[in-house]
Amino acid sequence: MTLALDTRTTSRDPAVTPRGDALISIIGLSKHFHVKLGAFGQTAAEVHALDDFTLDIRRGETLSLVGESGCGKSTAGFTMLQIHKPSAGQVIYGGVDLAQLSEDRLRPYRRKLQVVFQDPYSTLNPRMTVGEAIAEPLLFHGQATRGNITEKVATLLGDVGLSPRFAMRYPHELSGGQRQRVVIARALACGPEFLVCDEAISALDVSVQAQIINLFQDLQERYGLTYLFIAHDLAVVRHISDRVAVMYLGRPAELGPKRAIFSAPLHPYTKALLSAVPEPDPARERSRKRQVLSGDVPSPLDPPPGCRFHTRCPLAVERCRREVPAWREMAPDHFVACHRVGEAIPVPDAA
Amino acid sequence: MTMPVTLSAAVEPDEQVSLWRDAWHRLRANRLAVFGLCIVVILVFVAVAGPWISPYDFLSQDLEATNQGPSMAHWFGTDDLGRDVLSRVIYGARTALLVAVVVTGIALAIGVTLGAIAGYVGGRVDAVIMWVTDMVMSVPSLLLVVVINTSLKPPLSAFMDARYLATHNPIWRQTIWIDFVLVFGSMALILWPPYARLVRAQVLSIRNRNYVTAARALGLTPGLILRRYVVPNALGPVIVAVSAGLGTAMVLESAFSFLGVGVRPPTPSWGNMISDGLRVWRTYPHLLAAPAAVLGLATVAFSFLGDGLNDALNPRQWRK
Amino acid sequence: MTDPLLSVRDLAVEVSTRRGPARVVDGVSFHIGRGEALGVVGESGCGKSITTLALLGLLPPGARVAGGSARMEGKDLLTLSRRALREVRGGRIGMIFQDPMTSFNPVLKIGDQLIEPLIYHRGMLRREAWARAGELLRLVGIPGGASRLDNYPHELSGGMRQRVMIAMGLACEPPLLIADEPTTALDVTIQAQIVDLVKDLRARLGMSIIWITHDLALVSGLVDRVIVLYAGKIVEEAPVDDLYARPTHPYTQGLLASLPTLEGEETRRLPAIGGTPPDPGRRPAGCPFAPRCPLRVARCESEMPPLVAVAGGPHRAACWVNAKPQELAA
Repeated sequence: MTLALDTRTTSRDPAVTPRGDALISIIGLSKHFHVKLGAFGQTAAEVHALDDFTLDIRRGETLSLVGESGCGKSTAGFTMLQIHKPSAGQVIYGGVDLAQLSEDRLRPYRRKLQVVFQDPYSTLNPRMTVGEAIAEPLLFHGQATRGNITEKVATLLGDVGLSPRFAMRYPHELSGGQRQRVVIARALACGPEFLVCDEAISALDVSVQAQIINLFQDLQERYGLTYLFIAHDLAVVRHISDRVAVMYLGRPAELGPKRAIFSAPLHPYTKALLSAVPEPDPARERSRKRQVLSGDVPSPLDPPPGCRFHTRCPLAVERCRREVPAWREMAPDHFVACHRVGEAIPVPDAA
Repeated sequence: MTMPVTLSAAVEPDEQVSLWRDAWHRLRANRLAVFGLCIVVILVFVAVAGPWISPYDFLSQDLEATNQGPSMAHWFGTDDLGRDVLSRVIYGARTALLVAVVVTGIALAIGVTLGAIAGYVGGRVDAVIMWVTDMVMSVPSLLLVVVINTSLKPPLSAFMDARYLATHNPIWRQTIWIDFVLVFGSMALILWPPYARLVRAQVLSIRNRNYVTAARALGLTPGLILRRYVVPNALGPVIVAVSAGLGTAMVLESAFSFLGVGVRPPTPSWGNMISDGLRVWRTYPHLLAAPAAVLGLATVAFSFLGDGLNDALNPRQWRK
Repeated sequence: MTDPLLSVRDLAVEVSTRRGPARVVDGVSFHIGRGEALGVVGESGCGKSITTLALLGLLPPGARVAGGSARMEGKDLLTLSRRALREVRGGRIGMIFQDPMTSFNPVLKIGDQLIEPLIYHRGMLRREAWARAGELLRLVGIPGGASRLDNYPHELSGGMRQRVMIAMGLACEPPLLIADEPTTALDVTIQAQIVDLVKDLRARLGMSIIWITHDLALVSGLVDRVIVLYAGKIVEEAPVDDLYARPTHPYTQGLLASLPTLEGEETRRLPAIGGTPPDPGRRPAGCPFAPRCPLRVARCESEMPPLVAVAGGPHRAACWVNAKPQELAA
C-alpha cells in the first residue's frame, strides 16, 4: 500500500508544518454542541463535549482513547475526522489543517482517514448488498473500474476473512461479527492510513470480539495502519495499544505508554477506572481491594470548574476546585493533568 | 488451558435470503395480511375485468323487476329502477379503485416532494412547509371538500354548457369529468399532509443514521448519499402508509358521494349506492347491505395489508 | 442438599420462525438454593433471557413453553394461571432489566412507580407504600432518599435509575431476584457500584439471585455457581471457583482464554474461538458447539452429549471429549 499523498501538492491548502513523527497532530481541539432547552427552546446551552485536546498520533501506532460515556472520546474521534466540525483547534494531516477545509476540499482526504463504528447493525445501508457497499467508495474515488470491481471486492473480503460469496448478501443476513468485518473491508477499500475504531468491538458477542481484535492487528501489520482505538474496556485496550489516553468529561486526564498507564497510573481517575474492571478469576476478584468511585459523571452541559474530576476525586483539595490542572510530563512520554500528582504527600494507592 | 487460534479459514455465508423475499415470507406468515392481500387482488381483478364479468349493464333498467331481493338471476338483487346491484357494485369497484389510486398518487407526489425538501433542507424552508401542512390538516376535511365542490362546480358546469352550445362537441356534455377533477383534486388536497409529515420524519431520522455518517466519512457527495442511502430507506413506511391510504381514500370518496359532492349518478359509486340504499333500508335492506359490505371489506383488507407490510418491512421488530 | 427454592426441569421454549418452530431453549435444568447466587452466562441468542422470561410467563409473542417444569414454593410456574403468575412476579420473584431508561414509564414519578407493587402485592395504603418506597431508595443508596420519590425517571442518571429498578425489584422482599444484564448499559465505574450494591443487599437481605450476563468476568466475585449456556443448552455448570480453575467444556475454555485481562501476559493476539454461534433456526444436530470446536470428534456432530459430573463433584459439563460419561453405569 502506498502512503504517498497526492493531496500534499495542493498549494491552496493552508500549509502547516507537521511535528516530528506525527501522522496527525491535534492542537487545542474543542467541540461544543449547541442545544436548546425548555419547551420552546428558549434557553440555549452548550455541551462541552471536547475541550482543548492536544495530541500527536504517531505513524503506525495504536493509540487508545478510554473513558466513560460523555468523556468526549468519540467526539474526539469524529471531530478529528471532520465528521463534526471542530469549534476550535487544528487537525494537521499531511501538512494541512483539515479544520480549515471546506467539505469539497476535504473529500480527497476522507478516503485516507476512515472510521469503524460501534454498531455494525446500523453502519451498513440495509438496502445495499455487501458487494455494493464495498464497491461504492472504490468506484466513487476512482480506485477501481466497473471491470475489475468484482475482483477488488473479493480481495477486500478475503482481507477481512470472508468468502467472496458474501458480496451478494444483504447486511441483515449476516451476524454481528460478519457485518463488522464488512464494515472494516469498506473502510479499507480506499487504502486509508488512519483508522478510527469507535467502540468497534463492544457490540459484538464475547466469543467473536477476540476474532475482530486479532483481525485489526493483522491488518495493521499488513498495511501499516495507524489506529485510534476508542474504547471503554480497559482489558481490551491493554492488549492492543501502544499508548493510552484517558479522558474525563471532555478533557484528557492522562496519556502515556501502555505499560506505564497499566502498571503505574498517575491520575486518580485512571486508578479508579482500572480498579472498576471486573476480574474473571473469582479468587483474585474476592481478595482485591476495589476503589469504587462514588457518584456519577457530571453533566457536560455544566462541567465543574477547576479540575473536572474534583467532584468524585478522593484526593481533591481546594486548589482542584479553582484551577484547571496543567498538562505536565511526569516521566518521558507520560503526561497527566492533576495538581496532586508529584506532591510530597504520599498519594494513597487505591488500585 | 489452551485454545488453538482459528481465524485463517474464510467464513462461508449461510443460505441466501434476500431482503424482499424475507419480507414476503413474513407477510405470508401473517394470516390477516394474506387475507387483505387476497381481497385486494380480487378487487383489482374485478375492477379491471368489470365489463367482461358483470352479468348486466350497470345502466340497463328492468322496470318489471325493481327492488328484488337476491336471486339466481340477480345475486345481490335489483334496485328501484330494476338495475342489477351486483353489476353496479362491480362498476363501483372501478370508481373506488380509480379514485383511490389517482387520489393517493397525487397526494403522495405532493407529500413526498414537500416532505423530503422539508426534512433535507431544514431551517426556514422546513418551518414554512410544515406550517402549510399543519394549516391544511387543521381545516375540517369534509367542510373543505364541500366548499370547493359547491363553489367551483356551478361555474364550471355553466362554462361547459356554454361551450357545448357554442361547439356542439359532445365532449362538453361529459359532465362526469368535472366530478372527477373536482373530487380527485379536493381529496388529494386534504390527503397529502400525512405523507409529507411521514417522509419528513423519515428523512430527518435517516439523515442521522450511522450508515449515512459512514457514507459521509467515505467522502461521498450529498446528492449520492440522498439518492442511494436516504431515499431507499425512507420508502418502507411510505409503502405501508400508501396501502392504508388507499382504503382511506375509498372511504372518503364514499363519504363524499353519500353527501352528494362525490361522483354523480348514473356512474355507480359505493358511496352513492349506500346513500340511495339508506333511504329504503327498512324495506329493501339488500340495497344498503351489498355496497356497504363490499366497502367495509375493501377498507379492512387495505388496512390489514398495510399492517402486514409494516411488520414485514421492519426486520428489526423480529430480531431479539 | 436442602430443598431448592427454584427447580427447573427440562425447560424447552420454541419460537416460530419461517422454517417452523425453533427450540431456543432446549432441555435446560437447574436449581437454585435459598440465599444462593447463580450466574447464567452466555452470548446473545443463547436463550439466557428467554429462560427467565419463560419462568415469569413473560415470553414475547411467537414464543411458547414447549415442555418442562419450574417448581418454586410448591407450585409449577409454567402451569400457573395468569392471575397466580402476577402474584409471583414482583411478589415472589423480583426482576431487574438491562435498560434502566426504557424500563420506566417516563410520565410517572418514580415514587408512583415504586409504590405500585407494594399496593398490589402487599395491599398497602398509598401513604404507607410511599413511606416504604422512601426507605427502599435509602436501601439502594440513592442520595437524598425519600426526597427523590418526586423525581421523574429522566431526572435521574443511568446508574441512579438502575438503583431505583433494584429498589423496585426488592420492594416486596421477594425470595428470588432475577437480574438480566443489569449493568450492560452502564459505565464501568457505575457498573462496579451496582455490583457492590447487589453484593451488599444480598448479604443484608439474604435473597437468592439469578444474574444473567454475557460477561464471565463480571459475575466472578458475585455468584456462587455458574451455568454456561450455548445455543439453548447448558454446556457446563460449576461452582464459580471450579469453573475458573478447571473449565471443562471447550466453549468455556475458549471464552475464558479469549477474555482480555488486566493481569498476566500482555499478548497482542488473543486466542479466539472461530466462527459464530448458530442461528436458532439451524442448529446442528449434535453438540451445538461442534462446528466451532477444536476438539470435535465424529460423535459430536450426531449426538448431543449429556451433562455429566466432572471429577465427581457438583461440576458438570456436556462434552464427549472432555467429560466422558460413565457409559456402563448408564
